[in-house]
Amino acid sequence: MTKSIRRELQIPQPPAQVWHAITDRATLAEWMYPNDFEPRVGHRFTFHVPPNPKVKFEGLVVRCEVLECEPPQEKAGGRLAFSWSAGALADSQVSFHLELDGNGTRLLFEHSGFDDSQPFGEQAFKGAEYGWAKMLKQLTAVMAGPAAEHN
Amino acid sequence: MVATKSRHQDVFEAISHLARRQMLDLLTDAERPVSDIAAHFSMSRPAVSQHLRILLDAGLVSEQRHGRERRYRLVPERLAPVRDWLGHYERFWDDRLARLQQLLAKKNKK
Repeated sequence: MTKSIRRELQIPQPPAQVWHAITDRATLAEWMYPNDFEPRVGHRFTFHVPPNPKVKFEGLVVRCEVLECEPPQEKAGGRLAFSWSAGALADSQVSFHLELDGNGTRLLFEHSGFDDSQPFGEQAFKGAEYGWAKMLKQLTAVMAGPAAEHN
Repeated sequence: MVATKSRHQDVFEAISHLARRQMLDLLTDAERPVSDIAAHFSMSRPAVSQHLRILLDAGLVSEQRHGRERRYRLVPERLAPVRDWLGHYERFWDDRLARLQQLLAKKNKK
């Protein structure tokens, strides 16, 4: 069985600005990680999560491929989707759906494809580069790092 | 009977070390004596024991005595919080999306 994470955000800025923030490489790097994103279906790119020696995190590469890329129009919403493979989490999908909401934007976010039926061992444990542990550490590092500063 | 050690050792911390993750990997196949585990590493035997102690304290492995030999076995249930990708990713995205919103608000002010 697969599960997903869904979030709905009300953002005061218009869709065009939000679109820029999620599709412009440099801006994307500001809130995500260094990447070689291009707003073009079929483009393969990576996010490079830098090492964090403080928590002995060795760094991680997230592999992605753009699946959908439709900028918001006057009337229609925009849609960006890409695959997400990192560690033992293979081929999940991340999507951003933008809708005009007054003068602002309603952002529908989804990360789907978490397979929780996978038995212990096998891939999860024997996976290349101990992916599960790296991913865990990534997230721990993120939470211990600059993540906390916005409070 | 397996002695219950202090469970103060954090699971996450316990697996933060590559050697300990490799030890856990070794133990997925079968329970193994220390000598067998140590044979896979170039570090000293006491160093191996120290790593095993940390895994033991975190409850990730259990220890059985067979005569003079101590064998270690994986306790897979203890990895549940680690395998909770969904939970980790939820926190991850909440954090990233918060950053996105802050960034947009900041850029707008300029």
